[in-house]
Amino acid sequence: MFESPTIAEFVTQSNLASTLPGTLLVAWTLLLVLVDLFAGDEREHWTPLGACLGLGVSFVANLFVYAPAADQQTALYGMFIADAFTGFLNIVILVATLLAVLMSRDYLMRAGIHRGEYYILTLLSSAGAMFMVAANDLIVVFVALELLSIPLYILAAFRSIKNDGGELALKSEESGMKYFILGAFSSAFLVFGAALVYGASGTTNIPQILEVAPAVVDAASSATFYLVVGTALLIVGLGFKVAVVPFHMWTPDVYEGAPTPVTALMSVTAKIGGFAALLRILVTALSVLLLVDGGVAAWQTTISIIAALTLVLGNFVAISQRNLKRMLAYSSIAHAGYIMVALAAAGTAGSADSATQGALVYILAYMFTNLGAFAVVMTIERVDGGGGNIDDITGLARSRPLLAMAMTIFMLSLTGIPLTAGFVGKFMVFAAAVQAGLVGLAVIGVLTSVVSAFYYMRVVVNMYLRDSSGELLPALETVYVRWAINIALAGTLIFGIFYPLASNLVSMVSIA
Amino acid sequence: MNAIGTEPYIILSMVLFLMGALGVLIRRNAILLFMSVELMLNSANLALVAFAREWGQVDGHVFVFFVMTVAAAEVAIGLALIVNIFRERQSINIDDLQQMRG
Amino acid sequence: MELNAISIGFVVFTIFTLGGGIGVVTTRNLFQGTIWLMVSLFGVAGYFVLLSAPFLAAVQILVYIGAIAILITFAVMLTRSVTRIKTRYIRLVPSLLASLALFLILLLGVTMPIFGGVSPEHAPATVASTRDLGAALVDENGYVVPFLLASVLLTGAMIGAIFIARDDTA
Repeated sequence: MFESPTIAEFVTQSNLASTLPGTLLVAWTLLLVLVDLFAGDEREHWTPLGACLGLGVSFVANLFVYAPAADQQTALYGMFIADAFTGFLNIVILVATLLAVLMSRDYLMRAGIHRGEYYILTLLSSAGAMFMVAANDLIVVFVALELLSIPLYILAAFRSIKNDGGELALKSEESGMKYFILGAFSSAFLVFGAALVYGASGTTNIPQILEVAPAVVDAASSATFYLVVGTALLIVGLGFKVAVVPFHMWTPDVYEGAPTPVTALMSVTAKIGGFAALLRILVTALSVLLLVDGGVAAWQTTISIIAALTLVLGNFVAISQRNLKRMLAYSSIAHAGYIMVALAAAGTAGSADSATQGALVYILAYMFTNLGAFAVVMTIERVDGGGGNIDDITGLARSRPLLAMAMTIFMLSLTGIPLTAGFVGKFMVFAAAVQAGLVGLAVIGVLTSVVSAFYYMRVVVNMYLRDSSGELLPALETVYVRWAINIALAGTLIFGIFYPLASNLVSMVSIA
Repeated sequence: MNAIGTEPYIILSMVLFLMGALGVLIRRNAILLFMSVELMLNSANLALVAFAREWGQVDGHVFVFFVMTVAAAEVAIGLALIVNIFRERQSINIDDLQQMRG
Repeated sequence: MELNAISIGFVVFTIFTLGGGIGVVTTRNLFQGTIWLMVSLFGVAGYFVLLSAPFLAAVQILVYIGAIAILITFAVMLTRSVTRIKTRYIRLVPSLLASLALFLILLLGVTMPIFGGVSPEHAPATVASTRDLGAALVDENGYVVPFLLASVLLTGAMIGAIFIARDDTA
């Protein structure tokens, strides 16, 4: 018979404390809805300020909860897992959201829009990402993924810009619509995949799937078939979310059409959520899908092929892009490919931990660098939507030398040059791949990095070397986006120069 | 009670899922795409309920519950987006939107 | 399959579900499409009854047909797009072939003897009462986290719908 526990019993039994970073952020955001409602237009800066404070509160809570971090603990009856993996990714998500809020503040101020709901949706999306990296159950993965995605659909669609002729200069609604349709489509794959995995194993809890999966595989019954097909559908569903080839078609249009701070946010948090779920599902729950000889997970080949395709296509198509946001969209596809390399490496028995750690460091580096690059794009982009082409950046070194310097460092980091965070991430991913016996994949990774240098360096060449005798580029941005650039730059350089820092931070991470 | 086994339901749910996926691939109208996605979600619900009976557990039912909740949230957002885009350009056909350039 | 109430129901609901699905995918008229969707959703609700999940069947009818399908109908009306379907299909043949091939593979996987016997143990008549379902949402070992997340999700969706629908000039 069901007896309702008292609140005190609930708090202790459910280990609620370890969910504090996420729950505090949600509670704070809901309070912020009221603050925004009553603050009025003349105090509209309260909402972004409150958003930053909420992120700070969640950050501090995260430090307290995960300070011991060595042993994992589950909370809320096994639905939620609070381990070093969660703690680390929570920090990455919070920093990314802070940068996105700063960029959004700049964007909304310049466009003259007073919309407090914007920040609320941003925070809700990030809370979804935080629950997704902590999800220990397929149902939580699904619901958290939707909490992550639905605010992003809205934000992507929130502002279309018409230029003087009434033509659409920024196709924001179209971007939101495409993102929405593709997102709903991929969610359907995810749910169907989860349903089949549930049918095969009788549970949606990730550690319990791990327990029963060997028996299911050995039985070679139709349950085995459900497990395999279900896994494939889960990979497809999450593959759409993280934008890997062949599920990437929506990315360039959506990234180009969405307002730039939204693009920056979705290029980071949506990928973090998707990869966290992929790692937990494939490495934790389904690592037992082992081929008999060699101890290699059955999904490794599939993931390797996806990774290789993604690396090649993302990097080569990026070369032909003239629009900076579109170029960064293809570049983000390519970076998803590098993280996929780590995921593939995690499929070899024994190298799961080092590969996961590599993926986390890569995500950290990608977060700082990519957000920094988008922030620089914002500084040259006009409010009417123009000014985001690669030619518009010409002569930036003469008119804004510090900005050009920052952009150069971001481009170097995206390429993976030593002394930047991008190098540390790539190094750890490739090392894990070689250790896992995927030498071919690591070679493809290194070669495509060389290709990527071509289009990243073209940006640098445009800033420094091309004819810049024209008028100086005006400073369009507000102080907020400069803070965002400074933080991103600091992160890129600190984690690049003090390279053991990142690997020490993730050294306790183990999800296998 | 004479019951039909789980397999017929799973095969049916697969048919419905593929039908929905086919709809998303071949149709162009945004509302129709959305309805096809609803078909796919329903096929997942069907599979979940069938599996829940096979395992004699409530978990599958709970999952269906959440799928329905999320579908309701998605439909609200999706239709707001569709109406919004129609207000802007008097069309909701994906082919009147810019082509997916890939 | 012997002829009894359940097998007749199964056949009828199959006709509803798949017929409705075909209707949605092939329709020329958006309004008819929503009706077909309702037929298909109704068929799935019927399956839920056969699968001993009467409460979910009721929820399916209330939420899916009562709310979701009606909302879609509203969207069709609001966008006055009932008769505006000019191109009916794109990429028809390759998509159709791919779906058929995939279906055959899946069908083989579910039914082929090489995968050995089916289902572990069989089917209790009732799976869970409404009470069990409610308890599962808040019980220990229950689904508290997704329950809370879903509530936040609905709040966010509500804020978001207002956010887009509100006029920029306001």
